[in-house]
Amino acid sequence: MTSRNSFWASSKENHKRRVWVWIIAVLAQLMMYVGVLTVYLSRIRMWNTQGSYRTKEEYQNALYQATRDALAFQDNLLLPLIILTVIIGIQGFSYLYDRRKVDMYHSVPVDKNRRFAVVYVNGLIIYLTSTLVSLLIGVITAAVQGAVNGAVMAAVGLGFLWNLLFFLVIYHTTILAVMLTGNRFITVCIGGMLILYERIIYSLMGSMQYSFFDTVSGFYVMHEPKLSVLYDYDMNMWDFKQIQEIRELAGELLPYYGKWFILAVVLLAVSWLCYRKRPSEAAGKAIAFPVIEPFLKVVAAIPAGIGLGMWVHSAAYGNAILTAVSMAGAGVIACAAIEVIYDFDLKSLFKHLISSGIAVAGIVFIFLSFKLDLFGYDEYLPSVDELDSIAVNVDYYGQFWDKDFNYFSTSEFSEEHMYLQDKEAVLTLADKARAEDAEDMTDARCINVLYRLKSGRKVGRRFWVDFANPGNEELLNRIMGTKEFKEGSFQIMTDQDSFAEATAMVYSNGATNAALPAEDALKLREAYVKDMEQFDFTMVINNRPCGRINVSFPNWFNTTLDVYDNFENTIAYLQSKEAFYPIELNPEDIADITITHYHNEIYGDGDEDGIMPLEDVAVADTWVVDSDYAYESVPVISETFMEEEEFAQIVPHIYPEFLSSAWNHTYELDGDYDIYITFKKDTTYPYDRSQFGVYYRFYTGEVPEFVVEATAIGAEEE
Amino acid sequence: MIEIHNLTKTFEKIKAVDEVSVTIKENTVFGLIGTNGAGKSTVLRIVSGVLKPDSGTVAVDNMPVYDNVEAKKKLFFIADEPYFFANSNAQTMERYYSGVYEEFSSEEFYKYLENFNLDKRRKIGTFSKGMKKQLALILGICSHTKYLLCDETFDGLDPVMRQGIKSIFAKEMEERGMTPVIASHNLRELEDICDHVGLLHKGGVLLSKDLEDMKCNIQKVQCVFTTIEDEMKALNGMDVIKKEQRGSLRTFTVRGTREEVTARFATVDTVFYEVLPLSLEEIFISETEVVGYDIKKLILG
Repeated sequence: MTSRNSFWASSKENHKRRVWVWIIAVLAQLMMYVGVLTVYLSRIRMWNTQGSYRTKEEYQNALYQATRDALAFQDNLLLPLIILTVIIGIQGFSYLYDRRKVDMYHSVPVDKNRRFAVVYVNGLIIYLTSTLVSLLIGVITAAVQGAVNGAVMAAVGLGFLWNLLFFLVIYHTTILAVMLTGNRFITVCIGGMLILYERIIYSLMGSMQYSFFDTVSGFYVMHEPKLSVLYDYDMNMWDFKQIQEIRELAGELLPYYGKWFILAVVLLAVSWLCYRKRPSEAAGKAIAFPVIEPFLKVVAAIPAGIGLGMWVHSAAYGNAILTAVSMAGAGVIACAAIEVIYDFDLKSLFKHLISSGIAVAGIVFIFLSFKLDLFGYDEYLPSVDELDSIAVNVDYYGQFWDKDFNYFSTSEFSEEHMYLQDKEAVLTLADKARAEDAEDMTDARCINVLYRLKSGRKVGRRFWVDFANPGNEELLNRIMGTKEFKEGSFQIMTDQDSFAEATAMVYSNGATNAALPAEDALKLREAYVKDMEQFDFTMVINNRPCGRINVSFPNWFNTTLDVYDNFENTIAYLQSKEAFYPIELNPEDIADITITHYHNEIYGDGDEDGIMPLEDVAVADTWVVDSDYAYESVPVISETFMEEEEFAQIVPHIYPEFLSSAWNHTYELDGDYDIYITFKKDTTYPYDRSQFGVYYRFYTGEVPEFVVEATAIGAEEE
Repeated sequence: MIEIHNLTKTFEKIKAVDEVSVTIKENTVFGLIGTNGAGKSTVLRIVSGVLKPDSGTVAVDNMPVYDNVEAKKKLFFIADEPYFFANSNAQTMERYYSGVYEEFSSEEFYKYLENFNLDKRRKIGTFSKGMKKQLALILGICSHTKYLLCDETFDGLDPVMRQGIKSIFAKEMEERGMTPVIASHNLRELEDICDHVGLLHKGGVLLSKDLEDMKCNIQKVQCVFTTIEDEMKALNGMDVIKKEQRGSLRTFTVRGTREEVTARFATVDTVFYEVLPLSLEEIFISETEVVGYDIKKLILG
């Protein structure tokens, strides 16, 4: 029998006063788990009746995935979970807000630690019971419908632990917020601040870096919040949903389990200490410990001031004075508002001017340190001796994957595979870039760099390089011509295994497509890797691809391989498969060519929005006439050419849009014209006759005069 | 015994209690008198262990009370606005307190509820202010703690109820040595209950004395002397606290026992003299006037 004043008797007594929290918790969890699961499963069944699944196995896998999505890692759970946790946390210790309750609870002979433990454990019991009951019902529901197997159960277990640790961190943060405050409103404010603060700071710092620094780059090194569970939860949910292998999933989760557990323990310890130290007279006040009021004011006012200032900065097109004034002004207002909140008294607006002064000084200092780059962010350039290696991305993005065919971003692949040793070439290029303005460049390209320092630190930066400046050619060749660059930019250079698993290969020159046997992928790879020895900046800038091979892999991955005229081995392989066709079109094969002229000349050099005022467009009165497609009254004119003679004049000046390469000068192809070609029935080559047709572009400055005239504004009217 | 020594407590730069030293002896009814804001509630909240003093000590039977469960077992604190659980009834509260106080007597509790005509199943939220105070007192009495700290608990109780409570106090004091400590802003409310009174003003103690001592050692004498010499002779060597004159009728408030004062006046030639008893109110007026306070303004309004 339980003693009348045992822990469990106290716990039972406490539960009697938390009945409504029990009801909310159980209903919310049932809805979030069982309700969502029911919807997911019924949706899968409906799709199955509509024939969305080709095989029984596919349907079965969809059912398993639905159970995992609902019971293990659910997208919709985050907000309800936070709200429920905050309710549990605040309600449990809410007696601390009320003097009458404090008088009663603190005068009775109950140990303070016992009271804390009882309320804390009861909150945990409410969460655990409601969650486990809901999960149990959910698993039974799924099992009845055949949507559960061992792997799903394991995932549900891992998901439960993930949510439990998330609950603990938010629960302990809420308890800490209660201990620091004296009423619910302020608790929610402080709790929100504790949960979101790091994320807000990172976001503001990022915004300021991008606004004031030229070399800031998030390509390689992303400054992410380290302690924000909300960020971790939000950012990883999608990844965890995708990982099917339970061991791998557990491996991914483990670091978060560890981090969150430590965070939860620390927060609980701090909460308990605050509880021990919290004066009873704090009930009803804004902040329980007057000593932290100035500190809280300063740390809240600084991001508030900077946040508003940055909003003004973007609204006022970077006006520095307006930004500084609005930041300081917002800081002053935030300080005054916080003082009013502290005292619940409007007369307190200008109390504690010293801390307000510190907050405003902090805001001004932060603004100046960014605006004037006081810490030399943009000046940063490591020395060759400091560097271990470098990874760069020269304005190129592709699709990458790991050995298990999981997604890899361009930056992840590059970071993992590129270790440039010619550091001097990169540093010289970066140094040169500091003296140049991207806006003055003919063909400005963004180079993202990852400096791997010998100290172990990684620094990400970017700079702009003019591809059209011959002075950069040698340095770019020293970078792009290296084996390290190629291995870090093209998966084909190192990944033999994936090519052994290629599922399909297609060669295209923009107009003609030819399927290649997938089992030849390794053979093709061998030829292509050999040809890639010729790859460097000079080669890619002076040549355009004559074709492109698309190789497909499991998990819907694919890679594209640009084929150049000098890629003899690759072309030889293609020819051996009778798949290589010349890029030039035979005018006799063409049925018609439709050319659309967008008249982009009305953009640029105009007002601030980039649109030239109507009166400056000479043909303003005719501009929408006969246009096939008009957007905000911009004249877009299409003309279809049917004569072979016209085709013969057009064909030498066009290039397949499909083969546009990242490396070539962007200005070499005229983006103002779209060229759509359809072919006759009997042609020299097996041209693409799909409904999408083939698109080309004119080389810049090579648009035949008759095309210009035929597509001029007002031409069709005549 | 509750020993309060040099107790100081400040709330946001306002000294609520300033160097208060009082001793509350066992088996007495201690009255803590003071105006609103005098510091009575703060003293009681410190004594009950709710508040931690900035300086000074409180010892309940030689044990510090703050954060000390053993000391708190000897106390039951009835706040000026007692808290009862939401939607609770007397039964709910009995169950809670019986779990908290080891010696809580449920049997007595229900007996008292019946005597006071309080329905054990009726929601406390529907009780009148007086009924809530009665319930709080019953809970406090039935907790069987040694000290019962009542903050303005008698405010709002009708005379019959007060008399009932008074007799329960007497019974509990006799049976188990209960020591009630009653804080009130109304002197008249305590007159017929307290044995010992402490007067608080602006956070400090103006006086703390046994009521009997006070009553025995201060007398009011109305007198008409035959000659001025007789008056001088009678008052010579006497501690005269207050002196009033209406025509030839003199009224003196003097220190001394009734016998001493009577004996002195008997030695002089008077037309008439009479030694009268002082009310608690009059004693306070006299005592506080001595130290420069006008008690009427402080307590009696």
